[in-house]
Amino acid sequence: MTEAAVRLDGVTKSFGAHTAVSSFDLEIPRGAILGLLGPNGSGKTTTIRMMMAILIPDRGTVELFGGSPDSARRSRVGYLPEERGVYEKMKVLEQLVFLGEIRGIDRRIVRKRAMEWLERLDLGEWATKKVQALSKGMQQKVQFIGTVLHNPDLLILDEPFSGLDPINQEVLESIVLEQQERGVTILFSTHLMEQAERLCERVCLISKSRKVLDGELKEIKRRERSNVVAVEFEGDDHWLSRLGVNEIERVGYAHHLTLNARVDSDRILAAAVAEGVSLRRFELLEPTLREIFVRHAGDTAGEPVLMAAGGAR
Amino acid sequence: MKPGWKQVWAVLRREYVERVKTKGFVFSTIAIPVLMLGTTGLMAFMAVRAEQSNRQMALVDFTGEVGEEVARRMDAAGYDVEIVDAQVGLEELDRRVLEDEIEAYVLLDDLTVQEGAFGYRSKGSPGRVRGALLESIVVETVLELRLSVMEDAVGVRQLLDGGRMEFERLGEQQSEVQEASGIATGIAGVIILYMAMLLYGQFVLRSVLDEKRNRVVEVVISAVTPGRLMLGKILGVGSMGMTQLGIWALCAALIGLLGVPMLAASLPQADLSQLGELLPGVGVLLLLLAYFILGFFLYSSLFAAVGAMCNTEEEAQQANFPVIMLLIVPFMFQMFSIEGGGFAWMDWAALLPFFSPIMMFPRAASGAVPWWMVGLSLLLMVIAVGATAWVAGRIYRVGILMQGKRPTLRELARWVREA
Repeated sequence: MTEAAVRLDGVTKSFGAHTAVSSFDLEIPRGAILGLLGPNGSGKTTTIRMMMAILIPDRGTVELFGGSPDSARRSRVGYLPEERGVYEKMKVLEQLVFLGEIRGIDRRIVRKRAMEWLERLDLGEWATKKVQALSKGMQQKVQFIGTVLHNPDLLILDEPFSGLDPINQEVLESIVLEQQERGVTILFSTHLMEQAERLCERVCLISKSRKVLDGELKEIKRRERSNVVAVEFEGDDHWLSRLGVNEIERVGYAHHLTLNARVDSDRILAAAVAEGVSLRRFELLEPTLREIFVRHAGDTAGEPVLMAAGGAR
Repeated sequence: MKPGWKQVWAVLRREYVERVKTKGFVFSTIAIPVLMLGTTGLMAFMAVRAEQSNRQMALVDFTGEVGEEVARRMDAAGYDVEIVDAQVGLEELDRRVLEDEIEAYVLLDDLTVQEGAFGYRSKGSPGRVRGALLESIVVETVLELRLSVMEDAVGVRQLLDGGRMEFERLGEQQSEVQEASGIATGIAGVIILYMAMLLYGQFVLRSVLDEKRNRVVEVVISAVTPGRLMLGKILGVGSMGMTQLGIWALCAALIGLLGVPMLAASLPQADLSQLGELLPGVGVLLLLLAYFILGFFLYSSLFAAVGAMCNTEEEAQQANFPVIMLLIVPFMFQMFSIEGGGFAWMDWAALLPFFSPIMMFPRAASGAVPWWMVGLSLLLMVIAVGATAWVAGRIYRVGILMQGKRPTLRELARWVREA
């Protein structure tokens, strides 16, 4: 029981002349929650499809729970593709029963479970309505139920929160976290950095079909510590200009000071104490995921990567 | 059940239930036989009704020879006939017709005795049934009159009743009725097979295309392999088709069961002893089933591949064309050789698996080809179904995830090689 939930080893996939994913390695320990981050067209969906054995890699191997994806994906994995579809003419409950049935659960059991989930997500009264009568957000919740219905050990969610309003987004986020508490391993892709920061223990950044960085978020942040100190105080701010810091930026009540070779954070603190200002806040700022990403992806790609701050796709 | 078959079963069941539940299915299943029976029934009913009303007629006889006999026979046929003296004058009779005292009057004169021609005057048209009846009454009466003065009356009468060809097939023996039944079964079978393969094949295409277009297919194939999904789909649509055809067959059987005795009662003089031979044998029906199943598999796997390579309805309609041609060509050939004959090379063309259902079945039903040829065609079809399913399965597997432009033939070949 020690194999990783997901292990990719040197995985490469090309479509004609275009290389979608290039020598990709990744290991997700069991029970982890990992965010797969990257701009559109960077290879997220192709990577995920290879994990689901929907696409077969040209080179390299994919393992789920130490075996081939074919054997695991049917009953142990819940999958929400990026291109979400529903049988619009089917009734909500019937559709969920079908999705459970093809994953090998008995019809009666799956019907009961589906009903419980629907009640839980406030969709109980829609069970016998046709799917096309539901709003997009409600349909997305139904699709989500379809991925957890068979109690999988691994959830692979491709852009699970895109296109949802903030309330429903929060509902789904809490369910994802709850699944993780139950011991489910979770991988989700997103281009929303803030969201990944909020939910993930681990992240994997990909850009231009290559992996840029992966690991535990805390560890990455520690390693990628920024050189900015935020200082907030009451009193005169003339002393700041005498510090020898080149970049000072005013952000709200705080000043962001960028450190350099001659000035470190201890020196600034000492100066503040010497000046006698009353300190409200003194913090070595952590870089945001966005900054880390831009730093790395910008390096490898040779150009800054523009990330949409919000919205679908 | 193994998990794989359980999944095929789940797909089949969904496909079947969702289709059979639609209004379209219920409507077409019920409406088509009702409409067909209804229109023919209604037409017959109207004709009979028109014939049974307005039967008050007058008859004027200028010949003095046939009038009474014609009136007697009309009376026997249910008409209310009044013989009117020739002195009354036609103006008076015209007036009675115009004032609706009588429906019509019949006018017999010299031409009647010579040629069987007679007059019929009324406001409305007599209708085809009444026309034919009156014509036969008049002709028979005149014939009787003429024959009665002939020496060889009996001989002539026999000659009139005769006129039959005594056909004998050399070689294998088959009764005339059996042969007619074989041809009829063949024609009916061709229509059923053609419709089933084209119509139900289109259902498979639409179903594949819909799943691809609304992207639901990706979730499904994350649990079910594409091959099983395609198989389940084809079986589901096929079961729906069998249900529909079954319901129609049942209707036909019921109508036959109720209709034949009624027919027998209304036509006491008809000889129904050979009716049993008219019905197709169990062997022929099993053969029809075999060609239906194999033909449906063959064509629907092609249609599934077409559905998988297209993105829109319009694209599908274009890509459909070659497959539909494969159905139309044998149908055209079959029209030329409707009685199982035609050119000798057609018997060989009927061995081509894609042509077999439409061309070989009618030949087999009418006994136009030896049985080994039928067996060979079935064997070839089984092989073709396997090969087509393999190729179509590969196109399907790649195609359902492919968005964007429709593939060229070269790309298709690559899909088949690399899938």
